[in-house]
Amino acid sequence: MNFGYLLIISKSDLVDYTKLAYALALSIKNTQKEGIDKVCLVTDDPQSIKKLKSPWVFDQIIEYKNKPGWDNRSDMDKLTPFDFTVCLDVDMLFLNDCSSWVEYFVKNTELFVADRALTYRGELVTSDYYRKTFTANNLPNLYSFYTFFKKNSEQSIEFFNLQREIVSNPVEFSNLYLADYKPKVVGTDEAFSLAAKLLDLPKFDLSFPRIVHMKGQVQNWPWPADDWTDHIGFYFNRNGLKIGNFNQTDLIHYVNKDIITDEVISILEDTAWKK
Amino acid sequence: MNKGIIVFAYNSRKVDYSLLAIISGGLAKKHLGLPISLITDQSTVDWMNENNTIEKANEIFSSIILTERPQSENYRNLSDGNEIDNIPFINANRYSVWDLTPYDRTLLIDSDYLIFSNRLRAYLDSTDDFMIGKSMTDLGGERVGTLDRYVSETGPNLYWATNVIFNKNKDTKLFFNLVDYIKENYNYYSELFRFYPRPYRNDISFSIAKHTLDGFTTNTENSLPSIPTITDKDILVDVSVDGKLTFLINQGNNDFVAISVKNQDVHIMNKQSIIRNKENLLRLI
Repeated sequence: MNFGYLLIISKSDLVDYTKLAYALALSIKNTQKEGIDKVCLVTDDPQSIKKLKSPWVFDQIIEYKNKPGWDNRSDMDKLTPFDFTVCLDVDMLFLNDCSSWVEYFVKNTELFVADRALTYRGELVTSDYYRKTFTANNLPNLYSFYTFFKKNSEQSIEFFNLQREIVSNPVEFSNLYLADYKPKVVGTDEAFSLAAKLLDLPKFDLSFPRIVHMKGQVQNWPWPADDWTDHIGFYFNRNGLKIGNFNQTDLIHYVNKDIITDEVISILEDTAWKK
Repeated sequence: MNKGIIVFAYNSRKVDYSLLAIISGGLAKKHLGLPISLITDQSTVDWMNENNTIEKANEIFSSIILTERPQSENYRNLSDGNEIDNIPFINANRYSVWDLTPYDRTLLIDSDYLIFSNRLRAYLDSTDDFMIGKSMTDLGGERVGTLDRYVSETGPNLYWATNVIFNKNKDTKLFFNLVDYIKENYNYYSELFRFYPRPYRNDISFSIAKHTLDGFTTNTENSLPSIPTITDKDILVDVSVDGKLTFLINQGNNDFVAISVKNQDVHIMNKQSIIRNKENLLRLI
């Protein structure tokens, strides 16, 4: 099975996305089953890899020039070198082996976009604070941070072509289909969800993937929280990760990029080297 | 395996917990068909003797287990409808139930938990080592706040020690030892889990112990069902001969709405209103 994780980054003055992708790739190598742990990095700055101590965690590096105003994740289907791909946001970390999810998707579908998220306490996220567009326009509640697809399959070709149309023509699609609550930006999540709705893609009722989504306002706290790290701690060591009083075992979408410090990288590297 | 029910009661100057225990114990015994024991102290027994309730207690409880009265400077505000009183709250030895229970499998209930169904019997007949109420359900509407659902705003799930079922074995001994440890180090745990440490609450110690032994994760599987609850701001106003309980639900601003329940176990936090209806409740035993 030619499967791999696809990480797509662009150079930024504000965030070191290479470092985040490196942390994620290390976590994949540290936790996923052999054969289901390949990683391909798509970047517009391949030179940035040279600073890493263990660039081998990227099995492949593809250079891709960034188009201004374009999120390259919209081209994940064209960019992937794998037959079966999970494209991830790079601000994520694996803490346990989730290979069984991939094995299920390879066997059972051509396309799957995560359709739920959890709080750090393990509760299903029910707040639509960041997703008014989805609720008002009755869109499926999809999260592009974990997208599985089979390359060149009928369903994925149709889906990715349509979402590219949506991202390329946001005003027209918003006026037509998102009129009840227009988003400020038609991002990947909105485009994926609208494409899924227009194509009437089948819904899944699975207990996985289990992905903890650390956006502040969806944590069931009684106060406003822009940044979750203002309220609870991030405690990472070789034994695992605790967020607040909670041990984390699921895939973490940590959102706050500052938590990937040199110390976190060092722990991940140390684990990889001793594996 | 012998199964039974335990209720704790230490009278305070303001609340006759022994009478609450007689009522809740009698109802539990009747509806679950199991023996029940009372854990109390000599001064509470003396009060029952003076108050002529000891006979009823002896009829209901298969054993009355005496302990030292727990030392307590624990006070809490308890409402009776719109009236508020600050009362002593003697609850610090609940962890000792593991040592004190005469049963292999025990249902521990609060003395303000009135049982009118056999719903808990199925849980008593199951084999899970430890089960606790996973949440509370407000019978008066949607008044469940963050601190009714969690130990603190950012902390773990709040389990309700109003109902606990456990087998007496080394695993559950570990649990109750941990509850005791948390009680002894309550200020430390209040910093760690960010809850206000006064008054001491068994619900919080039990919740942190469960959260810890569940590997610092939430695990509500194999829990007891949500506890149907009437808050202390609500008032039990009538108990009919057929077992229907009528409450006035406090809507705020001196507005009350009446609701009735029947054949429904219910946690009535307004203890004084249970006591005001003692004759009718005792008739249902």
